[in-house]
Amino acid sequence: MMFLYQYIGILVGLVAFIFTLMRFREGKLSLGMLVLWSGVWIIVVLISIYPEATSSLAIISGIGRGLDVILIISIIGCYYLLFRMYNMIENIEEEIDQLVREIALERGKSGESSSQDEDSKPYN
Amino acid sequence: MKKNSTSELFFNKHSKDILVVLPAFNEVKTIEKVMNDLLTLDLQLLVVDDGSVDDTYKIVEKLSKRNPEQISVYKHILNRGLGASLRTGIKAALLKKPRVIVTFDADGQHHSQDIYSVSRPIIEGQADVVIGKRDFKEMPFLKSFGNRIMNTITFFFYGHLVEDSQSGFRAFNLKAAALIKLHASGYGVSSEIVGEVFRQDLILEEVPITTIYTDYSLSKGTNSRIGLKILAKLIRDVFK
Repeated sequence: MMFLYQYIGILVGLVAFIFTLMRFREGKLSLGMLVLWSGVWIIVVLISIYPEATSSLAIISGIGRGLDVILIISIIGCYYLLFRMYNMIENIEEEIDQLVREIALERGKSGESSSQDEDSKPYN
Repeated sequence: MKKNSTSELFFNKHSKDILVVLPAFNEVKTIEKVMNDLLTLDLQLLVVDDGSVDDTYKIVEKLSKRNPEQISVYKHILNRGLGASLRTGIKAALLKKPRVIVTFDADGQHHSQDIYSVSRPIIEGQADVVIGKRDFKEMPFLKSFGNRIMNTITFFFYGHLVEDSQSGFRAFNLKAAALIKLHASGYGVSSEIVGEVFRQDLILEEVPITTIYTDYSLSKGTNSRIGLKILAKLIRDVFK
């Protein structure tokens, strides 16, 4: 007999897997990230169906209970993703800096007047 | 009195060689007076409006139309921070090939006459970079404490102790301005400049300047929150 958390795990895993596939088809996800995320969601579904499989992980890792291993791995995974996202945001910030500065230098060089600038006022 | 006449002679002779870079973000209260003071000394101005949402840009434009020979204006369409503004300003200034590039805060805390003190060592070939050091004894306690901490942090991360690492009043010769490579977008740029000066083996001099403290100028610049942000950024750069 399956418990409620198993149904939830399967549902979340499947929905996320479909969502991942859709993002890939829309061209918003690279092939590498598709493989990585598909793997993560398939593992979530499999563990939800066979939670006892985590016991062998517990024995290998030396951590008492199987689900604890999964939780610890998940937390480490989350931190890794946060780090990746932080770096991505930093890169995007740098790119925006570069873009804004280039526009300023180009316009300054050509001596564009404030009338043209009206169109590009920020926060409008 | 003697100093005044010396500086007057200096400005008469060299004002055309000095280009003042003014990064400005929402400085509507002070920008006109700051620019007029500098224009009186017959200096060249290069204003970088960092995406101000008040009328700073309109005021700068108005003054620039009156003095097109003396003022150049560059506008960031989005607010990107002090570092980004200085990078734009210095890059644009390099194209104009002045003998001295001065960076000057637009919040009215600097005394325009002090441009003499920071530019003289450059014109006389004694230094590549000059930092105008503020008197910490005159600063309110929290501000001076924050600045001392920033000096220590700058020393810790860049390996060189200077008396005022966070001063926005500096002068560079063309060689220094071209060599210094900056990446910081925000206030961390001040520490980065100190690091670059030593990394590029440039000659640094620190000269005392007068600081005009008003409630307005005190509300601007490095505060504890910005200090913490700079620290976080410096730590991150170590692990990059």
